[in-house]
Amino acid sequence: MLEPVNISLESLNLVTLSPMLIAVVGALSILSIDLIRGGLHKSLYVMISLLFLLLDLGALLHFVDFFKANGTMLGFFDVMLVDGLAVLSQLIIVITSMLFIPLSLSSKRFHEYNYPEYYALFLFMISGFQFMVATDNLILIFVGLETASLALYTLIAMHNRSKSFEAAVKYFTMGALAAGFYAFGSMVFYALTGSVEINQIATALAADGYSNIAYVLVAVGFMLAAFGFKLSLVPFHTWTPDVYEGSSAALAGYMSIVPKIAAFVVAMRLFEVLVQSGVIWLEVVLYAGVVITMTAANIWALVQTDVKRMLAYSSISHAGFAMAAILIGTTQSNSGLFLYWSLFVFTNLGAFAMLWVNRQKTLLPGQSSDHPYEKFAGLVRTMPMAAVLMALFMLSLAGIPPFGLFWGKLYMIGSAVSGGYTVLALIMALNSAIAGYYYLKLIVYMFMKEPQVSQKNFYMINASLSLKSIIGLAAVVTIFSVILVNPLLEFITAMVYNSGY
Amino acid sequence: MFDNILSILVFFPALAALLGFVVEKGSIRAYGIAVAAIEFALSLVLWYGYDASVVGMQFMESLPLISAFGIHYLVGIDGISLFIIVLATFFTLIGIASLGEVNRIKDMILTLLFLEMTMVGVFVALDAVVFYIFWELSLVPMLYIIGAWGGPLRIYASIKFFLYTFTGSLIMLVGMLFMAYFYHQATGVWSFSILEWYRLVLPENLQIWLFVAFFFGFAIKVPMFPFHTWLPYAHGQAPTIGSVILAAILLKMGTYAFVRFSLPMFPDASVFFMVPIAVISIIMIIYTAMVAYAQEDIKQVVAYSSVSHMGVIVLGTFALNVEGISGSVFLMIAHGVVSGALFMLVGVYYDRRHTKLLSEMGGLASVMPHYATIFGIMVMASAGMPLTINFVGEFLSLLGFYKQSHILTILAGTAIIVGAIYMLAAFKKAFFGTVTNEANRKLDDVNGRELFALVPLVLVTVWLGVYPKPVLEPISNSVTSIVSLMHEKAITPEAKERIPNPMRQDATAEGRH
Repeated sequence: MLEPVNISLESLNLVTLSPMLIAVVGALSILSIDLIRGGLHKSLYVMISLLFLLLDLGALLHFVDFFKANGTMLGFFDVMLVDGLAVLSQLIIVITSMLFIPLSLSSKRFHEYNYPEYYALFLFMISGFQFMVATDNLILIFVGLETASLALYTLIAMHNRSKSFEAAVKYFTMGALAAGFYAFGSMVFYALTGSVEINQIATALAADGYSNIAYVLVAVGFMLAAFGFKLSLVPFHTWTPDVYEGSSAALAGYMSIVPKIAAFVVAMRLFEVLVQSGVIWLEVVLYAGVVITMTAANIWALVQTDVKRMLAYSSISHAGFAMAAILIGTTQSNSGLFLYWSLFVFTNLGAFAMLWVNRQKTLLPGQSSDHPYEKFAGLVRTMPMAAVLMALFMLSLAGIPPFGLFWGKLYMIGSAVSGGYTVLALIMALNSAIAGYYYLKLIVYMFMKEPQVSQKNFYMINASLSLKSIIGLAAVVTIFSVILVNPLLEFITAMVYNSGY
Repeated sequence: MFDNILSILVFFPALAALLGFVVEKGSIRAYGIAVAAIEFALSLVLWYGYDASVVGMQFMESLPLISAFGIHYLVGIDGISLFIIVLATFFTLIGIASLGEVNRIKDMILTLLFLEMTMVGVFVALDAVVFYIFWELSLVPMLYIIGAWGGPLRIYASIKFFLYTFTGSLIMLVGMLFMAYFYHQATGVWSFSILEWYRLVLPENLQIWLFVAFFFGFAIKVPMFPFHTWLPYAHGQAPTIGSVILAAILLKMGTYAFVRFSLPMFPDASVFFMVPIAVISIIMIIYTAMVAYAQEDIKQVVAYSSVSHMGVIVLGTFALNVEGISGSVFLMIAHGVVSGALFMLVGVYYDRRHTKLLSEMGGLASVMPHYATIFGIMVMASAGMPLTINFVGEFLSLLGFYKQSHILTILAGTAIIVGAIYMLAAFKKAFFGTVTNEANRKLDDVNGRELFALVPLVLVTVWLGVYPKPVLEPISNSVTSIVSLMHEKAITPEAKERIPNPMRQDATAEGRH
């Protein structure tokens, strides 16, 4: 006979679940609306998603106040962990989603947006990512990761082109492999310590003085591979360019930001305790991974002929750059990661949105991919404003001051310097120089080559008011980031520092 | 009235460029000239308001930008930056005014105005990050000018220009972050203010490393041998206006930064590297002079002679005494005026014949007498003839370095004199003798628009050559304070000895009278 379990509702602290639940409720209500009355216009679903995301944001802002006053909050059998990292990353996830969802109101019809399921899946995915970052329980991380990934595979496939199916299947296969690695890694950790909570694993490992170091290394190896796939670190990056190429440009931009920040947070929670506890091997492997990811991706990006593939490799390189923060592991570097990524949201989404507005339904004769460099030749003559905006995002990605990403790079390299990683700082700086070349290549095409007259009507063909507003917003933030950086940095540093990272 | 004049100077052209997007294409030239003229007038007001007797920075403005990381919008000028700013606004004005017929003139003029913002910004910035912002930002308009209006190889040239300087400045950025980190270690607060950094005394080995990091950024910009390979391409492909601004102002950013950053922040490292840098400078002077002699394209002759003279500027800077540094700052102005004028003169011929080959020229003096006269004056100035502006700067630079090393100075001095040969040889080939090329027989002499640009340059060349005091005095006052700071900060006895205390020297000099 089992004892009746007696738990007071207060101790569950159900409020910690509220942001994810808002997203789930949003998804369910979209599905029920479709049940009651089908065939409604996509703008309705976009606005409903936006409203629920706003509610989600409101809940998160409430957490910000709560965290400032009371510090870290645990809930739901201590599985939920709402600390500064969780709140910050959820803010990035939700704000990026709010910027992304209006991009579906394009002027050309792409049929995935006419399915209400698209929006429901989208909101499910967000809740998955939110679960993933707001816990240090390896099982819940896994559940969140899989919820989000499965939804994302479907979103890619819904673009309904042969390349999209290829992309979705490729991503699914790689994702399944990563999930397997993750499960193995967690299993070994559980076998070693009898716990699935990251902080307890760390305590138990430290208490027994890393006596089973061989098993720890096996577990860490599996985990590195799993996150390598999710963060597209070299050599686990091979899926990235193909998947980005197969997805719509807007979704590719989204994929380069949101899944990665979620994975960064988990990696930060997991690897930093291990790096700091003196597993030298891990530090060496991480160091090598960061350097190779940055450099190799940059070199591959140099030889791409399609802008979207170039941006895919560039986002791999940026992920490597941000991963350096986890290697360095100081409060300054962790804050640097969040600063970098918040600025990256606007710049990178802006760049991908610029591809999205230039997306035509059918390929022209002689055009082998959606966005070859030649398509942008002489854009400044035909569409000066579009060319200037695109150049702005490219300059920001290259780290030319005073635009957005420069400040992220400055702070990240600064944290490498003060963390004692001199050589790493130099490598980061030199990689920015290499990256300068391929961003410049697009600028050269747009500003210095003769336009291809036959394609004159193909620019901005997909533009609509909502797409233009999102691009405008991204551009404004990128240009005036100099004003934003100080409050952002103070906020981020306080959140990260008070979470103990 | 002078409270915010530096900010106005920096941002006025950028704001005007933004508004300029609205201006109709046919009226844009007038608009550009008007804006550049106002900007030039403002810089003259700045000169008027500048008090030469005050030591230290003037017209300072400060505004917290990213206070969490110690970054402030901090601007101010002293005698060293004042005249380069005036030079920059002056060249933008005459550059726009003398602009020939070009495609997409509106884009060109707005780009020039943006470029003017970055140029003024670099020379007024007293915060390393603000300096870096303008320094990097200046690459973008120049990239566009070379890449969109240049010759057949323009894209290669513009990307080469961009990537070389970009790489160098990223290494410099790491150096700046280290400097800020050491400041943070010493004081507990973050700061990127150059004035705060001046107060930091670093051990010699750190100084050497940081000096090297900064050196990459500056040396590529100057450009010093062996980093100079981007410059001939850039000059060869750039349109006239691009070459003029590049030679007159943008290259000066590198030599200016040596005086502003490297010397006062790392005095011991400066002494440590004095001889190697002097040797590089002399190689630069001799080698580029020889290359210039072999060129068949008159623009390349001017380009290599410009690099050659930059070597003298660097040599003077690393004399590490008041004469040498004042001379090199003065030579920055002089070199700007003279090589800017020479590029403009080459452009005059290019506009008429669309060629720059020396073999196409010959006997031009009889066809275009005014042109030949102005060209002759500038060639003399470039060769360093007494009573021209270059002579004052070169003489002082060499005099300064003579106190450090006799042999190297004699070598450099001889090289300069021998270097005059190639300029005179090119001049003879182009202008004297009989007209060999029929196409040259009917060329028009310089027209009014070109005279508007060239005559002021000739006047300045002669005026400052005969009477350099109004410019030289503020420069040498500011340089004196930098040198005495270096003397105080120097740790090693060798550095103390190499960098004489200018204050004491003055006192003994007065005592003797």
